[in-house]
Amino acid sequence: MSEPTFTKSSAEDIRSLYAAVFEKQWPSWLAGILIALLAILIFLWNVPWGIAGGYRNWGDWMLYAMQLRGARPEQVPWLQSLSVTNFGLFAGALASALLSRQFRFRGAPLFEYGKGAIGGILMGTGAVLASGCNVGGFYTAVGIFSIGGYTMMVGLGVGAYIGLRYLLWEMEHLPQQSGGTTPAKTATGTDWFRKKQYLGGGILLLGVIAFYLYAAYGQAQIGGLLFFGLLIGVVMHRSRFCFVRAFREPFMTGDAGMVRAVAISLILYGVGSAVIKWSWMQPPEMGVFHPFWIGSLLGGLIFGIGMLLAGGCASSTLWRVGEGHAKLMITLVTFALSNSTVNQWMAHSGIKEMLGSGFFLPQLISWQATLPVFLAIITAWVLWAAWNEKSEKFVIF
Amino acid sequence: METETIQSDETLDLRGLSCPMPLLKTKKALKGLKPGQILEVWGSDPGSKNDIPDFCKKGGNDLLDLLDAPEGYTRYFIKKG
Repeated sequence: MSEPTFTKSSAEDIRSLYAAVFEKQWPSWLAGILIALLAILIFLWNVPWGIAGGYRNWGDWMLYAMQLRGARPEQVPWLQSLSVTNFGLFAGALASALLSRQFRFRGAPLFEYGKGAIGGILMGTGAVLASGCNVGGFYTAVGIFSIGGYTMMVGLGVGAYIGLRYLLWEMEHLPQQSGGTTPAKTATGTDWFRKKQYLGGGILLLGVIAFYLYAAYGQAQIGGLLFFGLLIGVVMHRSRFCFVRAFREPFMTGDAGMVRAVAISLILYGVGSAVIKWSWMQPPEMGVFHPFWIGSLLGGLIFGIGMLLAGGCASSTLWRVGEGHAKLMITLVTFALSNSTVNQWMAHSGIKEMLGSGFFLPQLISWQATLPVFLAIITAWVLWAAWNEKSEKFVIF
Repeated sequence: METETIQSDETLDLRGLSCPMPLLKTKKALKGLKPGQILEVWGSDPGSKNDIPDFCKKGGNDLLDLLDAPEGYTRYFIKKG
């Protein structure tokens, strides 16, 4: 055997690292841990993580551009914090899809586009009522001890159940539109594969350069969000991390894997945010505005139905768009437009006051009681899902 | 078993559909088959590459093979258990 040179050995190691990162799918529990860490960093760096607020900003601008909105939106998309995180998440997922050779423009049957559009409208509406999507209204809300997060969780579960019931009904009663309508394009020239990979690497590099540019112009905080979003995008795409699954799968296949992953993530994030809040690194009541209980419950319900129709929530819509799914591109647009429209309308209608207001759990029952209650609820969710995985008591199909 | 020689009893074309429709339709089609019959599924959603094998393992069905077609979709051969 010949003596391995340093370059040879390094090239081999880099190749196997590349294969581990961009060829095999990451386990969802690992992604859960990484997402919690990134969410904690975002909280420390700026404000608690959310997604729908960024969509709203995009929707505001779309409506403004179509002259359906009088006032110019206050913030430009490249300086609005949640919008910038979303850009990062999308770019990260796109880069990851290119690097793992999974990017392709993916058309869908016409009927699916319709479902994507309606799903987006429902999610946009639900996210206004609940003051957040599956990330800001559920994940972050539970993690930062806003009680509305738990009611949205219940709403999402019920909504997912109703949405799945609809999908089953649709399979039985509506003419099947699937199949053959959009044959995948024949791959042209094998060289394209290589180019895609370099393009993916280039996007990641551009993300880092953009962060330095933001910093150079005194906007390091916003630039950092782009960077964190980029990492979340890579993690979510490589693991196919999907909040929809956590709510749908217990009723659909019984699989509890994503429930476990989201629960691990939530527990880590909750502990992290307790450290941040209890120690006053950030103000304890920061981000606690989720309307308890009507807004978050109703919003979760509507959002839950929408995410089943679309096949993606706020976060997984973004990374699926990065992978090239045309259906989810439509969802993204209708989500943004409906969120912006409903939000404007709600602001004038006075309904917002009737939906409830934000309650901070530690303020109601003390920090000492909050942590065990939080852990108990999440643990109960996992135990229920694990039991259901074996018994299939709640599987409806 | 060599994939070329697998005779499927039913073929389901799910190209263009994305999560969760491929899994739902696969599950539904399997319900209509007798044990031992073979379902061939054509899917283009990258998520199916993990979903369908996991589902088969869990549901007691046998994924005989999984084949990437050059046109960019995947053929799954599932024997109902």
